[in-house]
Amino acid sequence: MNVKHFLLIIGISLPLGVFAQELEGTVRYLMTHNWSKKYASEDHMSKQSKEREMYIWGSRSEWKEYTVLHLKANESKYMESEEKAEADMEGWSWRKDLFFIKRNFSNNTTQEAIPMTGKTYLIEDQIHPQNWKILNDLKEVAGHVCMKAFYRDSLKKQDIVAWFAMDLPSSAGPERFCGLPGLIMEVDINNGSLNIAADKIELKKLDKELELPAKLKGKKVNEEGYLTALRDHFKLQIDQDRPTFWGIRY
Amino acid sequence: MNKLARLLFALSMLCLYGTAWSQSPTRVTITGSVVDTSNNALPSPTLMLLNPVDSSLINFTRADNQGGFEFKNIKNTTYLLKISYVGFLPKQVVIQPSEKETIDLGKIKIQPITLELMEVVIRTAKAPLTIRGDTIEYDASTFKVPPGSTVEDLLRRLPGIEVDADGNIKAQGRDVRRLYVDGKTFFNDDPKAATKNLGAETISKVQVYNEGSEQSKLTGVDDGKKEKVMNLELKEEFKKGAFGKLTLAYGDQDRWAARGNYNRFNTKEQFSIIGYGNNINQTGVNWDDYGEFKGQSAYNWDDVDFGFSSGRRYFMMDGDGLRNWFDGRGFTQNAGGGLNYNFSQKKAKFNASYTYNQVDLDLNEFGFRQTFLADSSFSNSDTTLRADFRNNHVFNTRYENEIDSSNTIIVKASGRLSQNNSTNSSSQLFSSTNVLQKNRLSLDNDNDLNSWNMGAQAIYRHRFNKKKGRSFSFGGAYQNNNSDGAENIFNINRFFQANTFTDQVRQLNNNVNDLRQVKTSLLYTEPLSKKVFGEVFYNLQNTNNQINRQVRNLESNQRVDELSVFFDNQVTFNRLGTSFRYSHEGVNVGFGLAAQQIRLETAAAQDEGLPNFEAPLVRTFNNIVPNLSANVELKNNMYLGLEYGYQINEPRFNDLQPVRNVNNPAFQTLGNPNLQPERQHNMSFNFNYWNPASFISVNFNSDYNLYDSQIVYTQTIESNPSTGIRTTTRPQNLAGGNSLNSNMWINYPLIKTKLSMRINGGINFGLSPTLINDVANNTNNNGVNMSLGLNATPNKKLILDLSANINNQNISYSLREDQNQKIRNYGVDGSVKWNFASKFFLESNLDYNIFRNERLDFKQDVPIWNASVRRLVGKENKFEIRAAAFDLLNRRVTINQGGSLNFVTRNVANTLARYFMLSLSYNIKGYENKLRKNDW
Repeated sequence: MNVKHFLLIIGISLPLGVFAQELEGTVRYLMTHNWSKKYASEDHMSKQSKEREMYIWGSRSEWKEYTVLHLKANESKYMESEEKAEADMEGWSWRKDLFFIKRNFSNNTTQEAIPMTGKTYLIEDQIHPQNWKILNDLKEVAGHVCMKAFYRDSLKKQDIVAWFAMDLPSSAGPERFCGLPGLIMEVDINNGSLNIAADKIELKKLDKELELPAKLKGKKVNEEGYLTALRDHFKLQIDQDRPTFWGIRY
Repeated sequence: MNKLARLLFALSMLCLYGTAWSQSPTRVTITGSVVDTSNNALPSPTLMLLNPVDSSLINFTRADNQGGFEFKNIKNTTYLLKISYVGFLPKQVVIQPSEKETIDLGKIKIQPITLELMEVVIRTAKAPLTIRGDTIEYDASTFKVPPGSTVEDLLRRLPGIEVDADGNIKAQGRDVRRLYVDGKTFFNDDPKAATKNLGAETISKVQVYNEGSEQSKLTGVDDGKKEKVMNLELKEEFKKGAFGKLTLAYGDQDRWAARGNYNRFNTKEQFSIIGYGNNINQTGVNWDDYGEFKGQSAYNWDDVDFGFSSGRRYFMMDGDGLRNWFDGRGFTQNAGGGLNYNFSQKKAKFNASYTYNQVDLDLNEFGFRQTFLADSSFSNSDTTLRADFRNNHVFNTRYENEIDSSNTIIVKASGRLSQNNSTNSSSQLFSSTNVLQKNRLSLDNDNDLNSWNMGAQAIYRHRFNKKKGRSFSFGGAYQNNNSDGAENIFNINRFFQANTFTDQVRQLNNNVNDLRQVKTSLLYTEPLSKKVFGEVFYNLQNTNNQINRQVRNLESNQRVDELSVFFDNQVTFNRLGTSFRYSHEGVNVGFGLAAQQIRLETAAAQDEGLPNFEAPLVRTFNNIVPNLSANVELKNNMYLGLEYGYQINEPRFNDLQPVRNVNNPAFQTLGNPNLQPERQHNMSFNFNYWNPASFISVNFNSDYNLYDSQIVYTQTIESNPSTGIRTTTRPQNLAGGNSLNSNMWINYPLIKTKLSMRINGGINFGLSPTLINDVANNTNNNGVNMSLGLNATPNKKLILDLSANINNQNISYSLREDQNQKIRNYGVDGSVKWNFASKFFLESNLDYNIFRNERLDFKQDVPIWNASVRRLVGKENKFEIRAAAFDLLNRRVTINQGGSLNFVTRNVANTLARYFMLSLSYNIKGYENKLRKNDW
């Protein structure tokens, strides 16, 4: 335990390697939410209610959507896609919350707008990459052979498996995931509760895709401020016997 | 480890670190280069420095074009260097702390992944490849073999593995001498025993690795001999499970209840059985139990009618008859049960269910009704005894297949067989205000009705791959409902006048009803731009309804011609419409127009097979109807919805019937073959707000209907010494009726998580025109209801709830303003749920209801108090013992007050009052050992 912690401290004190990135283009990710599995991975909910949820809704609790990651030089911007992944939703439009995660890997800075329980949190801070463990598995995602990495999010109580491409030199990734020696092509959270997988890579010159909206309204916080708000949300939901994923990005 | 130990450990580590520092540099540089097995440089491989303890990533870099790499100025400690390069096996090198400032690793060779593994496993089968030392494993289940294949057949397909004619296995060119299943020897040492006998579908992973020989295992001395070993990992067994509950209860006055359900399931199938029986007015099961019974087919919404809603009535199967519907009146004995089967794969889903239910009702009800005429009024008080037995056999099946990404088909079929026997005996006493005219009418009716329904539906949907959003749908349905009933009627009317006399009717009615409906619907959707969608739809519906009503006078045993009719009605509905939708950033607005035609054909004859009285009456109604809908999602979880439509409905079949129904001689009905379709404007508005942080929610909705033509029951009231007071209702088209209904719910937390307030309210206005003896009467019905509740959860073991409600209804009659009614119902309700000791729960509620109507001088208070204590027993809380008392004050009656057109009514029915019950429940999965909040 302690050796691990000790080495970990050493690890954090070292800057992560940064690539001179020549990759420019847009990656489209398909997000597959599985509500029953999300519900089943809530430790504080009763076994009976989880089993009931799975029994009635298990076979059709999937919901798909697209997101995009724009990559340019040492920058990345992750946001929702205009495209709809659910054919049934063609012809219906939801209002979109302000959401983006913009990173500059040469300055090691991040600028994010993350909706949580009806509020928008505007995060400005250094990049805080996940403390990934690198595992010995290979898999192909969207034509690229990827290696497996693992991270346990102890606040959100999530087991996260990421697959990063060995041949795409970028530390970027979908959602808040980053810091691997290759572009993160797939992320699987809590055994399929949410799967985010790249399904289309378009290498092209980007123009204004990485620009931020002119008006940014929300609560300005740093990483710690955001995590504090998230922690409060989790505490309240658990106290109220409600699913923790309500009102936040999973 | 406690804090002190940790501190000491950290200190000692620091000391060690310090000692090391005195001899070695703190920072080092690691260099090296990556080459393939033939010493050729590999351009730009990825190098990762990992913590050897947990493989966590510390640093990474990418080598240059010659494979050369350098980690500069890093802490001098132990690392695991991991090298990855596309097409090669990842390699790990342990790096120890160095005494020199530069650690040169020299040339590091990495091994290519065999082409087979690369192409077949990774690229074709898309299976993840796991490398553990010299073991490579992958998910064998991604390799498809025909059903019934053995492991041997599977192995033949796997890259790097050869199986000869005798079944001997070679992996990477070498013989496999040993084979394990889940790491254990299978039967005996012959690998073929496993590969020839095991089914391929049982295997999830195949691992091949080198293992020391048997001898080295025994001696513990590595003799350098390695053998190829194969391990077959078995699939995690299909997720199987079962759950179920059983409750048995018994009480005083021979009250009893039994209820049970059992479900078995695996990843593909769900099977469930449910049953219940009781004499405590539970006519079915609750939503939770019904949901568990139906499992994944509990919620299917299949609508065969495409295009905007035209408000047309169509026939739907109402659940399975298993749901509790008790209206609070009388005493019932109930029994029911069912079987349900679901099958589901990614693309295909199948459901079949059969249910049976029966209800035996005993009702004793007192009714009072006062009817107002232009210059007088009369009232009748009515004592009814009713015995009613009904049962239903229901069969439902549904099949859904998502053939591919663009084609989906849904097929449904359902059937129902029902029986209903009832005996009504009613004594009605009539009195009039101005004339001293009284009569008592005794009605004795026996009804026997047998009916069956069957129907089938199909929906096909095609999405065009070429253009997103373009789709075509087809829907079709057939329904046949049939009933055959006999009514045996015996009426005695006694007149208490100067010369008291009696009028007696004995009559037998035979009613045969047959309805057949065929309908079809087409819909085509085209995206006109990213934000605008166009739709074209067509609906065709043909309904044929035949009623044969033959009335026989039992005294003369002759048909009563003026009451008997064979009536044949055909309705053909055609609609062609189009609509446009704008959809962008949470704004969804639609506008549509449709041309529709209703063709009505009616014919009447004395009996089936006899010539029609006159030529069939054919009428056609053509209309253009608009529809407007808007849904706007505003900021901060606010939603607005608005809808307008113009609806045209053909008259109900029974209302067109040209003969009288005299089952109750005092209230006769007569149809009207000249009725026009009903035409109305419909408007609805709703607003929702929800704050996910504070949990404040506000919901409001409102509906408004305005009739251009409404089918209204007009009344002709005659009073003469020979018939008494006789009311004949007849449907007619009248304009001007309207109604407005509004409801609101607000939930407002006063103290976060501890105390919340809820406010519900509703306002309704209605204007109903009618004709009473050809004089126009407008009845205004205005109601306001309001309820205020507080819910407190001081801690996890206690929930308190208190609420009060007021329900005011004012009815005014333009015909007789002096008779305006004010109906008032008030209620106060308090409840407590308390987990007062471990596994002990107390639940109690007191509901105090006050019923008032001052004009009629009616006052009644109904307080109902229930209480129960339950205890969970057993290690996993599998048993629950509950003692319950219902209606401790023994005051329960069911009261309904209401009024419309030209009357005001009040009904008081007896029902189950005080009883005590002891119950024992068993739940396979155990009961939750906490209070249920049910707040979401």
